[in-house]
Amino acid sequence: MRVSHEWLGEMVELEGVEPAQVAELLTLSGTEVEKVTAYGLGLDRVLVGEVVGLRRVEGSDHLFLANVAVPGQEPREVICGADNLFLGALVPWARPGTRLPIGLEIGRKRLRGIWSEGMLCAPDELGLGSDHDGVLILSPDDAEAGMPLDRLYPADHLYELEVLSNRADCLSHWGVARELAALLSRPLRDPETSRPTRSASGPALRVNVASSTDCPVYLAEVLTGIRNVPAPAFVRRRLAAIGQRSLGGIVDLANYVMFEIGQPLHTFDLNRLPAPEQELEVGVRRGRHGESISCLDGVRRELDPETLVITVGDAPQAVAGLIGGEASAVGADTAQVLLEAANFNWARLRSTSRRLRLRTEASGRFERQLSPHLARVGADRFIHLAVRHLGATLGPRAEGGAPLTPAAAIRCDPRRISAILGMELSPVAVAGPLRRLQFEVREEGAEMLVTPSPYRTDVATAVDLAEEVGRIIGYQEVPGTLPPLRQAPPLEALAEPVARLTSTTCRAAGFSEAVSLSLVSSERDGLAPRLIGDLAHLELANPLSAQLGSLRQGLLQGLLQSAHHNQARGQDRVCLFEQGAAFWARGQERPEEPWMLALLDLADDTAEDGAARLRHLMALIASLSSAGGGGAVEFRPVAWPALHRARAAEVWAGSQLRGIVGEVARPVADAFDVRGRVEVAELRLDGWLKPGGRPGQAPPLPRTPALVLDLSVTVPIRALLGPGLQAIRALGLPELELVTPIDEYLGDQLGPGVKGWTLRLRLRHPERTLTTSEGDAARQAILRVLEREVGARAR
Amino acid sequence: MTPVDLQELTAMALEEIARADSLERLDEVRLRYLGRRDGLVTLAGQRLRELAPEQRAAFGQEFNRASGQLRSALETRQRQLAAGEEEQREDGEWVDMSHPFRSPEQGHSHPVAGLIREIEDIFAFLGYQSVAGPELEDDQHNFQLLNMPPEHPARDSHDTFYLSPPAGGWLYRTHTSPVQMRAMLASPPPLRIIVPGKVARRDNPDPTHTPVFHQVEGLCVDRGVTLGDLKGTLEYVIRALFGRERRVRLRASFFPYTEPSLEADVACAVCQGAGCRTCLQKGWIEILGSGMVHPAVLRNGGVDPETHSGFAFGMGPDRIAVLRYGLSDLRDLYENDLRLLECF
Repeated sequence: MRVSHEWLGEMVELEGVEPAQVAELLTLSGTEVEKVTAYGLGLDRVLVGEVVGLRRVEGSDHLFLANVAVPGQEPREVICGADNLFLGALVPWARPGTRLPIGLEIGRKRLRGIWSEGMLCAPDELGLGSDHDGVLILSPDDAEAGMPLDRLYPADHLYELEVLSNRADCLSHWGVARELAALLSRPLRDPETSRPTRSASGPALRVNVASSTDCPVYLAEVLTGIRNVPAPAFVRRRLAAIGQRSLGGIVDLANYVMFEIGQPLHTFDLNRLPAPEQELEVGVRRGRHGESISCLDGVRRELDPETLVITVGDAPQAVAGLIGGEASAVGADTAQVLLEAANFNWARLRSTSRRLRLRTEASGRFERQLSPHLARVGADRFIHLAVRHLGATLGPRAEGGAPLTPAAAIRCDPRRISAILGMELSPVAVAGPLRRLQFEVREEGAEMLVTPSPYRTDVATAVDLAEEVGRIIGYQEVPGTLPPLRQAPPLEALAEPVARLTSTTCRAAGFSEAVSLSLVSSERDGLAPRLIGDLAHLELANPLSAQLGSLRQGLLQGLLQSAHHNQARGQDRVCLFEQGAAFWARGQERPEEPWMLALLDLADDTAEDGAARLRHLMALIASLSSAGGGGAVEFRPVAWPALHRARAAEVWAGSQLRGIVGEVARPVADAFDVRGRVEVAELRLDGWLKPGGRPGQAPPLPRTPALVLDLSVTVPIRALLGPGLQAIRALGLPELELVTPIDEYLGDQLGPGVKGWTLRLRLRHPERTLTTSEGDAARQAILRVLEREVGARAR
Repeated sequence: MTPVDLQELTAMALEEIARADSLERLDEVRLRYLGRRDGLVTLAGQRLRELAPEQRAAFGQEFNRASGQLRSALETRQRQLAAGEEEQREDGEWVDMSHPFRSPEQGHSHPVAGLIREIEDIFAFLGYQSVAGPELEDDQHNFQLLNMPPEHPARDSHDTFYLSPPAGGWLYRTHTSPVQMRAMLASPPPLRIIVPGKVARRDNPDPTHTPVFHQVEGLCVDRGVTLGDLKGTLEYVIRALFGRERRVRLRASFFPYTEPSLEADVACAVCQGAGCRTCLQKGWIEILGSGMVHPAVLRNGGVDPETHSGFAFGMGPDRIAVLRYGLSDLRDLYENDLRLLECF
């Protein structure tokens, strides 16, 4: 919302307060000032001139030559491109040598052989808004030739406010002035609302509100003898300053009151309402199916039982709180007005506004829970202005709704407010800011009975009062402290989280950390290798797009996409990992959110290099499991969707399947537009790795020397090492400390269909040195097991 | 053999030692003169016995001096030659030491994930435990228990993704605050937790929005926790993140789940508060929302607001990362471009 410094200054003394200071005070106390702009600055150098001669410039189809006069001087010739000039028009005239507020330097200029003496200005050229439709035409009621323009447009500053959603009271100059009065400790001057005597003339009036929940207050006032002449200059100027177009005196005054007091008003032309001569029955009820209303914006809107309507003689005349009807709109000939000052249920208006896709200044205020107490003030203010400036006489009135309940008093202990804010405040220091906010404070012993201003709908409890005191004193005054740590944090907090251990381990192994959106296209996600098998995706009911329409079931589709992104930018090796939740549907039940780790290693290289990178990935998985207390892992070759049929394995730890690892199948890599070989893994970490990682357990260090032997065998080309090693371990040789594969050899001299393995055996006896023959015996035993299990031959 | 002969022999030997140009040659020289069996000097020494007793002393003296001199000359020359040969060997193993080799083995942190770890460390120092909660929530935990009944205007800023049937009862959390509720319901105060995690709001991607982003929630509940405690905590954390000199300000605000509510701004790093494009001419950049936990929210969490109070805050690490690292587009954080990751 835009508010004017000059307008505020009418309600609170702003003498000696700079706009920047106003902006800071408002911002820190909750009403953020997003922008301060100067308005009508430096207009003392622009004079009001009268157009005393006007003709087209010869040879031009759009230029006019105006003779502009001020008293006591010869008329001067000014060339002008606007076509809204007429003889006798009063216009702003910037003479040569003037510097306009927007920075324009005005000189004497020669155009088409004529010397033009300055410029006739449009509003935007004067820094009076953005209107550039023509030269600003001044009303002879306000202006006279020779007058400096700042008499009409005093220097002002405009504040662009971001009002908090619970502060409907601040959607008006009066409300903002109330804040400033409290912040500056200056008195608040309420707008004038003298109440004239009521004449008996006019129709009998009744208001019938169907539900006071829908409409707590409805005030109807008849004003007769009104003339829809232009509103007074100060009204038009202030409305123009905050960006409102002038729409005739009656509507301008209603708008003026809305921006000043905060109460939206509606004016019906009484003579255009059905049967104005007899009794006028104004109703507030829900709409009916099949009803519709043609609105002020020219749009016909269907009504329904969710929509609140204003009726006269049961015929809809307005969508309550949102927009008026076209039929009863005020026009130039309006002579009698039915004024509405009402309050409508905020939730109802919100849903109606959303359903009709229409938001107006009025609905925006009602939606935020405007105080019902404002209706009376708004009506009185309009009546005051209309009687004074539009010649209106006050006629009959009626009201509907429920009786207004006065704001409830809040009992509070000032020590409680000190305790919430964490600063020592005396009862006087607590009461001061509250009183300055127009709250009523009564002291009752050590306690206080505080009645908030009736215009505030957001203050109901002692903590609300603490906020009021805090923000008016200013949070910069609150001393910063730390809460005492009276009890030690839980010991579990000391354990290194799995996510952190995982990140450290993966980065140390050369993988960079990726983070992707959790929203995916289910089609793409379904293409990528995933630990979860066939499962329907969780879909969003209201997605932004199909690309972001589903929740990811795995993390590899994100990494494949990032791999493509990086490869397309010239990276020939991409090593990424990502951790995060995946989402697995369980019908109506809470979906499962496994904590996943995905790894990806992409390079454009040979099959052999790919295999080496795959092994590096598997080594990383094994060391991660070991570091995270997940135990020994076993890789079981398997055929897995979207993975290379001869390069895929399940990752098992103990008796649990924990993940998959392998090379992405060529067609899948193609689908993600990735060249080269992509080695990937996806693992579920929750329930496997433990916070704090592996518990430290160190067995006594052996004192005896180890016997290290190598065993070379030949095996069939597709023999699996994993089961072979498992069989060796199952043998349970007490002296066998470690068995490590050190070489895999594929060569012609071994013959077709055969490959060589070399295993390094480390044997040790806890008490004595092993003999060579004991070593040979162990080697023989192992060889026999390998012969049996994988068809090995000694080499 | 006279002492004079011995001197001549020594002179010849010294000359040969000086001429030897390899360790091999030098060893030949050593053997020729000092060889245990037939070295010329060794043999000369054996003649001592043949001399008359009165000549023996002088000759013996001369012999000791000569052989000592030769040994030390051999040793010196040997060191020289050995050093030279090592130099030659090293020269043969030349490496271009100006080459800017880089370890290909170290991976990099994601800027947001790294920042979250940093925030966790700062709070760990203040006694806060980092906990997690589900990303899919029900309306109850995401809104209602946090004082946001259906149709509450504050829900406007939480444009929510809902799931389709049959999972229609679930939504993607719009903030990490529901984990506050879960933590309060799970264990009695005192509580000091932070909750980093992903949240989602229905915003079309643009330079300042991504539909999924991160938040770090914080909650401290105990007896007698004050707004001053919130202020001191935030000031410490913000200085830890943005530097000791950075100005911080707290501004009154509104959230349904806190009362009083505050937002924290830091002075814009680009203009130092003067106003520029980055801060939209405000001079300040908003980085978190906070406040004293609303009594109704405490009650919903099973905490008695008469005996306990607390503060809560929520910050956006994505935004903080953008500010701290001078990025221009939030969407870049989710591209995982290695050129960006390699900066961290």
